[in-house]
Amino acid sequence: MSFLDIVIQLGRGLGYTLLVTLCCSVTGVLAGLVIACIRRIGFYWLRPLLDAYAYIFRGIPVLVLLFIVYFGFPSIGLKVTPLLAMVLSLGLISAAYLSEVFRGALNSVDADEILAAEAIGLSRLQVFNCIELPQMLRFSLPGMINEFTTVLKYSPFAYTVGIPEITKQAMTLSAVTLHGVEIYFAVGVLYFLTFRILLFAVQFIEKRYRIPGLVLKQRSSI
Amino acid sequence: MALIEVRDLVKKFGDQVILNGVNLDIYEGDLKVVMGSSGSGKSTLLRCLNRLEEPTGGKIVFRGENIMAADVDVRALRQSIGFVFQQFALYRHLSVLENVTLALRKLKKLPAAEAKDKALAELERLNMASHAGKYPSQLSGGQKQRVAIARALAMDPAVVFFDEPTSALDPLMTREVADMMNRLHDEGVTMLCVTHDLKLAGQISDKVVFLDKGVVRAEASIETLSQDHADERIRAFFGREADY
Ligand SMILES: Nc1ncnc2c1ncn2[C@@H]1O[C@H](COP(=O)(O)OP(=O)(O)OP(=O)(O)O)[C@@H](O)[C@H]1O
Ligand SMILES: [Mg+2]
Repeated sequence: MSFLDIVIQLGRGLGYTLLVTLCCSVTGVLAGLVIACIRRIGFYWLRPLLDAYAYIFRGIPVLVLLFIVYFGFPSIGLKVTPLLAMVLSLGLISAAYLSEVFRGALNSVDADEILAAEAIGLSRLQVFNCIELPQMLRFSLPGMINEFTTVLKYSPFAYTVGIPEITKQAMTLSAVTLHGVEIYFAVGVLYFLTFRILLFAVQFIEKRYRIPGLVLKQRSSI
Repeated sequence: MALIEVRDLVKKFGDQVILNGVNLDIYEGDLKVVMGSSGSGKSTLLRCLNRLEEPTGGKIVFRGENIMAADVDVRALRQSIGFVFQQFALYRHLSVLENVTLALRKLKKLPAAEAKDKALAELERLNMASHAGKYPSQLSGGQKQRVAIARALAMDPAVVFFDEPTSALDPLMTREVADMMNRLHDEGVTMLCVTHDLKLAGQISDKVVFLDKGVVRAEASIETLSQDHADERIRAFFGREADY
């Protein structure tokens, strides 16, 4: 096996890792947003259900939920693809955490600004769209980075349901080539680079949408 | 006919009675000042008048229409009443200009260019046009309050409410806002201002309404209230500071 073969195989693995991370993160952000928005605007009867969801899903280990979905669902007649199983486990757990991040960010929107917007005659939905949502998204950026990192770090579980992501490729390669240390080192570097590139992109977005003059308390250690 | 007639307005929170039969008339062109100690229900009064709070009883007539009727369009009512808050309440993620254009675009449905022209004209009126591109956290307190006033005026309201507009400001900035209110008064803008700031009251009005224990207790000049009023509590309230 040539060096090029190794690079190609690791590259393919990285592709799967990114695919899993992206799908789970996007699911997490979208579902988390929907939950936080619903909880904010109304649908009071839905609230206990959403609270229960956030409470329970934050307490289940990813691997356990993944196995329930992937190996358990077929027994009740629901067959899911490996990627969908990842989305339904890691993605939805991530959504539960993110819904809390968004809830916290919504709570730091100034109540006076909301009152002022209502006092001028804007509807509840307009106030949410024009005042609460844009501020909330800015406030929750650090929390979203944290969550993305977590999803990236949990993505190797994908290999347990047969997705040949990068860690799985490394296991195979190290068995074949007997250069385990070098290969795992390369994998570590690739994870790290992925994280840095993401961070760079997020910092770019943050700069673009930063509110001039506003100094917010640091909410994240990153 | 008064622009706003308040008759026997009652507001309770649970069994706590905040307003207990308030009577008040605001005429077009008035700059009416309502004073009262902290917790006397000044903010609650304003919020009842634009239905941010639901009054418990009584009657409020705005431009001849009973606005406590069930079928009143509350959002239309609020659009014709400007509201300026103590803590300015500028939208912090929007520039000064966008703070003023938001309601013009969302409620009056003006096209972007028209909204911008209208907003710049209002900012100019408050001497804030040169700050249009700044963000709220880049402004001084007095400047913020002037933007808040411009934001309210841009909707061409029938009346502007001020809730303690200067209590977050130092004396110099208070003067700045008071001057602006006097100028708007000269221009014919109808205003209702609640405050416990004697300095501000002295700067913008000869007569004040005194709200106490849920009712209007007196309406007279500050001198009269501080020296000649029969009730010692009222004399004490208005005699707090002599240096306005
Ligand atoms: N939403 C509410 N629920 C219950 N009580 C309230 C509510 N809003 C106000 N109150 C009470 O009503 C009373 C009057 O409040 P309000 O804010 O109108 O007073 P204020 O005259 O504006 O006082 P300040 O000068 O401190 O602003 C206070 O005792 C307050 O605790
Ligand atoms: Mg008040």
